[in-house]
Amino acid sequence: MRWFRFAVLVLLATVLQASFFADLNIKPDLLLILLVFFAIYCDTSNAIICSFTIGFAADLIGRTMGPQMISFGLFGTALAYLHQVIVIRKMSYQALVIFITALLAGSMVYFLNSLKGEPTPQSMFAALFGIALYSALVGPFLFLPSAWWMRIKISRFSRR
Amino acid sequence: MLFTWFMLAGSIFLFAPQKLTDNFQYAFLRVFNWPLSIGENISLSVRTRQPLGDADVVPRREYNKLQNYRANIEGQLRKEHEKVEMLSGLRNRFPLEAGDLQVASVFPGSFDKLHGELSINKGTDDKVAKGQFVLSDNSIIGTVGDVSARGAKVKLFTNPTSSIAVEVANTKRLMWGSGDNLARIPMVTHKVKIDSEVMASSRKTGFLNAPMIIGKVLRCERSAKSPMLWDIVVEPVCDFEQLNDVAVIVINPPE
Repeated sequence: MRWFRFAVLVLLATVLQASFFADLNIKPDLLLILLVFFAIYCDTSNAIICSFTIGFAADLIGRTMGPQMISFGLFGTALAYLHQVIVIRKMSYQALVIFITALLAGSMVYFLNSLKGEPTPQSMFAALFGIALYSALVGPFLFLPSAWWMRIKISRFSRR
Repeated sequence: MLFTWFMLAGSIFLFAPQKLTDNFQYAFLRVFNWPLSIGENISLSVRTRQPLGDADVVPRREYNKLQNYRANIEGQLRKEHEKVEMLSGLRNRFPLEAGDLQVASVFPGSFDKLHGELSINKGTDDKVAKGQFVLSDNSIIGTVGDVSARGAKVKLFTNPTSSIAVEVANTKRLMWGSGDNLARIPMVTHKVKIDSEVMASSRKTGFLNAPMIIGKVLRCERSAKSPMLWDIVVEPVCDFEQLNDVAVIVINPPE
């Protein structure tokens, strides 16, 4: 695992998410796309570290600290273990996995935020669905440049 | 084991006091302030419309009045759309349709810029009452404060004690006067474009039936209380110092 390249990639996604995509009503979640990418293409222990680190980065630009670290860590780890059993190679499957992960992780973030006393927006489900859908549409296409940057050969991928 | 330690760390972040955890967010903003501001500027410039040519020039005050009129019409249209969707069957009314406009003269020299107040020559004898909205140049300028039989004080929305319910960028918030010919809308969850219209709205029956323009966004600054929230600074859309006449909106409560 190339950790320096990983740090650069996560920082770039975090800055883009907090600035360029901040004002858009409908936007993909770059950090969630990276979460799924590393959960799929790293070994399990690295995937766990990556998931929690990406969650921490998402918390830095979120409303509160903690919810996304827990949520991303939990679902990233689950996805890494699931990937030992099921290979997710086709782009359509990757899109489906991103969509489902976005819905589950997003719901958990709202739940954890509510535990912390944060108000839940009225359009929560619309926002969740929109982010999940756009992340699923964009995500598989971002896997290729991410894999190139991380020097991961996704075309010759095999089960761990 | 690794998973357990990370979950523990996440839980500590989750349940730690927000004042402590905010430091992480502030540190990130400080360190990456430059790339963040570049990204925000690119995002805003992409979405900003090109300025119009100045072939058709009208006086600034006339232009502002027409812009305010357009904003009010759009506010009414939105309100009417909501009403149609609700199919409530209640009688539809435009903001000024069901009420009277009591035109009043501003006492010369009564405008207090620091405190955001001015005095007018209409009072309870003319159905003027406390809390009614005051209009000038097609925009809300404040509400009626203390009233006597033949006079009233207008508490401009820039008055430090003033708080008015407003809508900005589809968000309903309270706007507070800040006393320096400006007002603030604190703790907004998303950044708002400069020059966005701020519409006054009132949930209290009998004051304002549809949103009307009250100001424009002058600045959008990061909140001092939370780094992820924004404080919006609002400026008036009409020049208070040049006001000679205003109109008090006297709306009769719906039957």
